[in-house]
Amino acid sequence: MTELELCSRAADAAKRRGASYADARIVRSRTQGVFTEDLRVAGINDNDSAGLGVRVIAGGAWGFAASPRLDRRGAEETARRAVEVAKAGSLARPARGIRWAKEPPHRGTFRTPMARDPFTVPVAEKAGILLAAAREALKVRGVKKCNGWIYIFRERKYFTSTEGTATESDVVMVMAQYAVTAVDKTTAKERSFEAYPCHAGWEHIQETPLVGEARRVGEEAVAKLKGKTCPTGRKDLILLPSHLALTMHESIGHATELDRVLGMEESMAGSSFATVDKLGKLRYGSPIMNIVCDNTMPHGLATHGWDDDGVEGQKWHVIRNGILVDYQTSREVCHAIAAPRSRGSCRADSWGAIPIIRQSNIGLEPGGEPLTLEELIADTKDGILIDGMGSFSIDQKRQNFQFGGDCFWEIKNGRKRAMLSDLTYQAITTEFWGALDAVCDRRFWVPFGVTNCGKGDPMQTARMTHGSAPARFRKIRVRPGVK
Amino acid sequence: MNEARAYETISRVLRLSRAPSTYVGMGADQGSATRLADNVITQNVRSEGAWLSVECAWGRKHGSASTNDLSDGSLKDVVRRAEEIAKASPPDPEFMPLIGRDEAKKYLETRRWFPRTLELTPLDKARHLVAAVRKVKSRGLRVSGAYSTSGWIYAIGNSAGLRGFTRSTSAEIHLTALGKAGSGWAQELAEDAGEMDPVRVAAEAADIGARAQKPSDLPAGKYTVIMRPAATAELLSFLIYGLDAKATDEGHTFMRGKLGKKVFGGNFTLRSDPADPRCPGGPFHGDGMATRAIDWIRNGTVENLAYSRYWAKKKNKKPTWGPENVIVDGEGKAVDEMIASTERGLLITRFWYIRTVDPMVPSVTGMTRDGLFLIENGRIKRPVKNMRFNENLVDMLNRVEATGEPQKAGEWSGFLVPALQVRDFNFTSTTKF
Repeated sequence: MTELELCSRAADAAKRRGASYADARIVRSRTQGVFTEDLRVAGINDNDSAGLGVRVIAGGAWGFAASPRLDRRGAEETARRAVEVAKAGSLARPARGIRWAKEPPHRGTFRTPMARDPFTVPVAEKAGILLAAAREALKVRGVKKCNGWIYIFRERKYFTSTEGTATESDVVMVMAQYAVTAVDKTTAKERSFEAYPCHAGWEHIQETPLVGEARRVGEEAVAKLKGKTCPTGRKDLILLPSHLALTMHESIGHATELDRVLGMEESMAGSSFATVDKLGKLRYGSPIMNIVCDNTMPHGLATHGWDDDGVEGQKWHVIRNGILVDYQTSREVCHAIAAPRSRGSCRADSWGAIPIIRQSNIGLEPGGEPLTLEELIADTKDGILIDGMGSFSIDQKRQNFQFGGDCFWEIKNGRKRAMLSDLTYQAITTEFWGALDAVCDRRFWVPFGVTNCGKGDPMQTARMTHGSAPARFRKIRVRPGVK
Repeated sequence: MNEARAYETISRVLRLSRAPSTYVGMGADQGSATRLADNVITQNVRSEGAWLSVECAWGRKHGSASTNDLSDGSLKDVVRRAEEIAKASPPDPEFMPLIGRDEAKKYLETRRWFPRTLELTPLDKARHLVAAVRKVKSRGLRVSGAYSTSGWIYAIGNSAGLRGFTRSTSAEIHLTALGKAGSGWAQELAEDAGEMDPVRVAAEAADIGARAQKPSDLPAGKYTVIMRPAATAELLSFLIYGLDAKATDEGHTFMRGKLGKKVFGGNFTLRSDPADPRCPGGPFHGDGMATRAIDWIRNGTVENLAYSRYWAKKKNKKPTWGPENVIVDGEGKAVDEMIASTERGLLITRFWYIRTVDPMVPSVTGMTRDGLFLIENGRIKRPVKNMRFNENLVDMLNRVEATGEPQKAGEWSGFLVPALQVRDFNFTSTTKF
């Protein structure tokens, strides 16, 4: 029996037991991690996992059950449990039942395009890259540590629903990163470099200058030790795509997940200030702010053929010219904004988890006029340039935030000057995005990835891509993080 | 999965391995969770699974693989993958030989398996949550939250003859009571779900939520604060990262140069004790080393760091691994007493999204959540809007004025911590609600 046939058997069994809707997902995943500490290989592991998740609506309530048993009896038993769980939940079901947006049945297969399957690359070759990078970084005087890791992931997913959808997907993710630590008599500082995570083959790792950049990264780790203490006050910030990815993730991505907006995550991940009464009215940011979700973009971590609601990947604006115009939605909640169709943002992190709304590939559109980073710096009198991700924290409605970064440079009178240390900036989301006054053009748009986004209860971990070009925000409050 | 079947599986894997040194870990779990939002059940899930990992080594060349398929073919495959990785890996100078069978004589027996936790059905949970909804609605509020239970077994074995088995259940309920302008929150954790009372949790969340409505502005600044245990647990979890002995000796944790020195206040003690029945730990660590009671910080002095077997050998220390559980001692002062002794300060229900800003300090930032109250002249005066804090944890733990009775709190049932009264807690900005 094929995986799709087994899924159909589970969904049909649920329907026979009283489910008005059922879907079944079989997921076969494999991961491999290579970890180095300085010039030693600290560990290499290779892991596989497979199982079946069955989701049903029965008695007007949701039920979900999961099991690693991938045979006929396992499929039927898992379906029986899902229906049993749903019927228990009908004790406190929504008064109007579950409203489920229509979606035409889909059939097909989606695959990550790749030139070289990363699982065919010998582990010694993988470790060799990290060791070579460490060797370079450790040559820099003052560098005491270089920890590296390569992580590759493959997920084969089979999905059927009682509505006639039957799809398969086969996605592959690769990422590599190292962190260099410099130590002096009083403190230690870390600087990182990565082949950003994306859906691609081994070629993405080979195309990233992991070894070539290691010495610079080491030198910058040492320079951070002597960085000028961050001033306190308001500065113009120029944020590189490597940094802006996380700022967008926290202040826009989560805030525009419609389940959060509706209070469905209230007790865990929180809710959102961007409530549905503000749709089409809320000035989220300046008129040059255009935020686009795109689950069709090549290599995106949230790119899929169909989400776990069986909805195909789409591309849409959530913020257009600074105004909130849409959300990231699922079939369960899109009715709340009178949308006839889900945007296809519903995903589970494994076979054992129920699908919930997860961030799409969400990013800032590049500026319409030609603008380089050098020109943007030249146009800035009193600012700070920030590269890479650092400390990040935001309130549960996504308004008050504080972010750090991996590296900071002072900008004075149009020139990049000395390195700063220990910088944080604080803002209220709409005030921050309202201060956006310049975005470099499409040539400088770069995607970065987040692979550890936590949400849900039980907690699930999701991955997604956030792209942007360098962008400037005027007069943002900065302060040293150490005090 | 029981002990005999687990050992049988482990022995089968050990026989499949051609490596001179093989370590096997395996587990099985089952769990269910019922989730509420806006007074209705929005999610109801049940899952089960198993896993097995194997590490093969030739000398210091080692490799690991894992699977959740315990069939014969899959076990052969997982051993083969671990062997291939080991053969392809360079020697690891820090790889340690297997722990021998006698280590098992040191394994503690702790009671943390309560069948009635697993006997709680989704229908039972739904009934409890319906009662909780009724309680919160009676205060004119709405409720969101989750009630989850799980049970798991964990077994280890190696080619040096060591075997170990442990199992545990756990249950957790947390509820947020919401009004139009403000929220309250409460939580209970236990190995034995029979000790928990969802209606009691609902009453506490509703009480905080009712008082938290219509918060007013208060400028950021330094305030005496009283943290309920959930807030203490969330904050102190960020101390644990600094305990690693190797990283400390290499100079890149905030603990460097502090071992043996009194750097925290004299009323701060942080320790682990797997035998403590209030938060029982397991009998062994991941490599099979027996767990034991360890004082990490005693009366403000750093007594121990977390030594791996490799680093302990190199430094001539006794290996400790990391904390098996986290116990912060308390003097037993009630939160009401702390409030009564506060001239002007803030009562914190819990924190949210705490992150390290500089690990070498360590400085952290985060937000208050679900009920922040101004205290004046020994009484709660009014709710105020949530605030962001930036704090130096070492410095803060020198400003602890009073401590409460330790209780289970936080995201992990292994935390047993008291409420804390801390002076000059540093808030740096406010938010809109």
